[in-house]
Amino acid sequence: MKRSVFRLLIFVVVITLKGSPILYGQSCNYSLKGNILDLHDQSPIFGALITIEGTTFFSQTDEFGTYNFENLCPGTYLFLIEHPQCDSLKRKITIRQNQVLNFKLEHHINELEEITVSDSKLEQITNSAQEARLNADQILEYSSKSLADALNTLSGVSVLRTGNSIAKPLIHGMYGSRVGIVSNGMRLRDQEWGADHAPNIDLNAFETIQVVKGAAALKYGGDTPGGIIVLAPAKKVLKDSLYGNTVLNMETNGRGGSISSRWVKTFKSGFYYSGQLTAKRFGDFQAPNYNLTNTGLQEGNLSFKLGSNRIVEGWEFNYSRFSNEVGILRAAHIGNIQDLATALASNIPLRVNPFTYDINAPKQQGTHQNIQISYFSTTKNQAKWKWEYSYQINQRKEFDVRRGTRSELAAIDLKLQTHALSGNYTWKKFENWKYEWGINSLLQDNFSNPNTGVKRLIPDHLKIELGSYILGVYKPNNMFSWDWGLRLDGVLIDALKYYDERDWIERGYADEFELFEIQDMGTQLLTNPKFNFLNIAGQTGVVFGFGKGFESNVSYILSQRAPNASELFSDGLHHSLATIEYGNLRLQKETIHKLLLGVSKTSDSFQTTISPYVSKAKNYIFIVPRGLEQTIRGAFPFWQYDATNALFFGIDLNADLDLSPELNFNWSASYTYAQDLEANLPLISIPPFNSTQKIKYTSNSKKWDLEIAHQRVSKQLRFPDNNFKFNTIKMGTIVPETVDISTPPESFNKLDMIFSLYLKRSKILKSYLKVMIKNITNNDYRDYLNRFRYYAAENGRNIQLQLNFIY
Amino acid sequence: MKIVINPIYNLFILFLTLSFTSCEKDTPEIVEEQEVITTVTIEFKAADASSQTFKWQMDQANTQTITLKTNTPYEVSIAFLDESDPGNVKVITEEVAEEADEHQIFYEFSDVTVSYTSGESDALDSNNNPVFIHSIWTASSTGTGFARAYLIHEPTTKSSTTRNGFGGETDVAIDIPITIVD
Repeated sequence: MKRSVFRLLIFVVVITLKGSPILYGQSCNYSLKGNILDLHDQSPIFGALITIEGTTFFSQTDEFGTYNFENLCPGTYLFLIEHPQCDSLKRKITIRQNQVLNFKLEHHINELEEITVSDSKLEQITNSAQEARLNADQILEYSSKSLADALNTLSGVSVLRTGNSIAKPLIHGMYGSRVGIVSNGMRLRDQEWGADHAPNIDLNAFETIQVVKGAAALKYGGDTPGGIIVLAPAKKVLKDSLYGNTVLNMETNGRGGSISSRWVKTFKSGFYYSGQLTAKRFGDFQAPNYNLTNTGLQEGNLSFKLGSNRIVEGWEFNYSRFSNEVGILRAAHIGNIQDLATALASNIPLRVNPFTYDINAPKQQGTHQNIQISYFSTTKNQAKWKWEYSYQINQRKEFDVRRGTRSELAAIDLKLQTHALSGNYTWKKFENWKYEWGINSLLQDNFSNPNTGVKRLIPDHLKIELGSYILGVYKPNNMFSWDWGLRLDGVLIDALKYYDERDWIERGYADEFELFEIQDMGTQLLTNPKFNFLNIAGQTGVVFGFGKGFESNVSYILSQRAPNASELFSDGLHHSLATIEYGNLRLQKETIHKLLLGVSKTSDSFQTTISPYVSKAKNYIFIVPRGLEQTIRGAFPFWQYDATNALFFGIDLNADLDLSPELNFNWSASYTYAQDLEANLPLISIPPFNSTQKIKYTSNSKKWDLEIAHQRVSKQLRFPDNNFKFNTIKMGTIVPETVDISTPPESFNKLDMIFSLYLKRSKILKSYLKVMIKNITNNDYRDYLNRFRYYAAENGRNIQLQLNFIY
Repeated sequence: MKIVINPIYNLFILFLTLSFTSCEKDTPEIVEEQEVITTVTIEFKAADASSQTFKWQMDQANTQTITLKTNTPYEVSIAFLDESDPGNVKVITEEVAEEADEHQIFYEFSDVTVSYTSGESDALDSNNNPVFIHSIWTASSTGTGFARAYLIHEPTTKSSTTRNGFGGETDVAIDIPITIVD
């Protein structure tokens, strides 16, 4: 009786003090500890947050699911147990002695959440669409390479190259504006339209990279029919900790290397900061039989973050800077089509100089800075708000070989500034329904420096985008889920461009776009092209589990994309391809329907995925040769952006088999078919059939492993004939000569090897050494997807030493 | 302490700010093209001081024909001009002469037999190779054909008898119709 009165008294006091349980005069030295476990399999839940309502007391579970409270006063408390991937739990607990209490949480994948990483568990961005991912170890392996190189290991992802160092990811035959890159939750806004513009991003700053094939990740945009690449940093834990990694690379090919280091400092309070630095330096790379003159590169990146994550509420400030300088193969800088024909006829590049670290014109310089702030907060009913703002400044300079000292002056000098703001709201309704609603806006300003002394390739323009989306997931049980999404975007493009008056009339713009004319400047005409587009995107899909590890998914995606600035306005000469490229003001938005199917079977030692897809494009924007233009450099082929209807289909295959505890076999392959339905011709730059087979032996002690990979890329037999003829003088008479720019190179085989040795594997420090040999046989081959295949072979053998420290 | 933020209101304000920020762009400057060669003129001067000039202009039909006599030396002078701004014509030939090491002029003939040597006051590079800004042409037999004039930038070699032999990049490649009479 006495005790219950006491309890009541405590309760009243607790209520009056609005939950503050600190009762003066009492001995506050009780402890409460225990484990938080998964309701289904009793596995410990890492990172769950336990708060005592109305107090500042909280604890977060460690990797064993253990939580701990000290110095508690006796009393009754309301405990709130939360985890991003679990349903929250509330329990009223009375403390009057040291206690051990275990809680069980319903653990589930939070489909709509942004990707979070908890040791081995990765959340999916979408439910039914196909995803492939790279984990931290795989990213580290490619630490000295580019994002596209790292992604190339995934089936269905190829690389479009311009020389050795400029690489763009190609998903299901699409690249550039059709593939979105998301870092830290926001779309990367660099000059993504250019085939020779590699994404300005350092993969070392991220812990996971996920590829969503198709425009299924609607929250990031509905205009990326190829896919979306999502890069996410490491998830912060709520405890006092300092962790990170350092990776050092030394490579024989290019005689260079890189160093990258990352540190994260977290506090129990939820506060954290982190920093990251990367430096890369390479000299000329080597093909098996010659030096690739002027292909060196240097890169320096840094980023830092400051934030607080208290599970229910958090904020973050993020700054990152990427800057690089990349040499362009000197032999690829040509003057006219006769030079191109000469280069094609030669087996070796026409300029081969001794190895150097110097980077001369032609070259590219890129700088990308991102300042980002985000804030999220969870409301009482488990709904969550998140806002993000980012300001991105992208500067891009391209240097050509020019007369006099002008090679020092950039021939292309673009500054792209982007303000982006997004907000989203996620909530749950009844147990099985989840929704997300969001809004994105963007203001983009492109400035083309006129002091280059070269006509602008891309005009000054403004772009405004406003979009909103709603997504939903219905998941009644683990065997079935249905997800859907709808998105609407308004895009406004407002440009100021000078047209050559003669071109303006010749192309029929004078009549059709008279409204755009502003001022006649003699030979030049100042115009103000303005375009509005309203784009719809949608996605729906289902996932069925059939039991015994069988799973199947079907998803349909509709995407619409407004033509980009390059497709509309491009105006200039490409020195490396000897082509003149023209934009097209008549382009309409592009609409793509895509249907993806996935069947997978998973068992303890075997895993396989078969993913066919088909997609139909209306108004598919591409560039086509339109004839020869007589210039002072002789006749030049000119290419113009145009639209057609196109059909794509393909299949991505993957199988993984444990032959024994030591031996693993992995096979992946992909095939893409793409056809221009109007001209009834294959589309250009579509990856040929390719397959990679890997065998990996892991020693019994797990101290070392050895992986041997063989890649076979077939010859692309489906290509459009874009060859042209020009008149050359041979032995004193004129002879028509065909310039074969279309025929793809022969198929090739490549053998790579990775040996990993663990040097130290303790709780505080993990260190390992990797020896990677690429192109072991020093095979001399050319790749159809390298736009410089006309001039030089791919890189020869490379021996790379990599030292990793994870702490 | 809890900071009270009304999410919807804040979002709304931010969107408004973004949408209605005055986004008029300044009128872009006209780019002054710095190294365009718009015009090539080639003057043919015979010993009797009679002269013919071939002019190739960008954006124009170039149809003049040059008539040469066999076994007669002609002083041939080539000039490269940037006439993109008629009020400020730039003579690029001077730049070519100054950077003789990085430039080479080369003539190739189709269906006519013409030989040429370096002319008086021709520019020479650091190895005394002629650039052929000024040359002397001699035709050996009658016929109709054309001469192709090249300006090569950064040739890999300065002495060759074919265009491919020189390497480098073609800055100019134009055809001059020629008739050779007795």
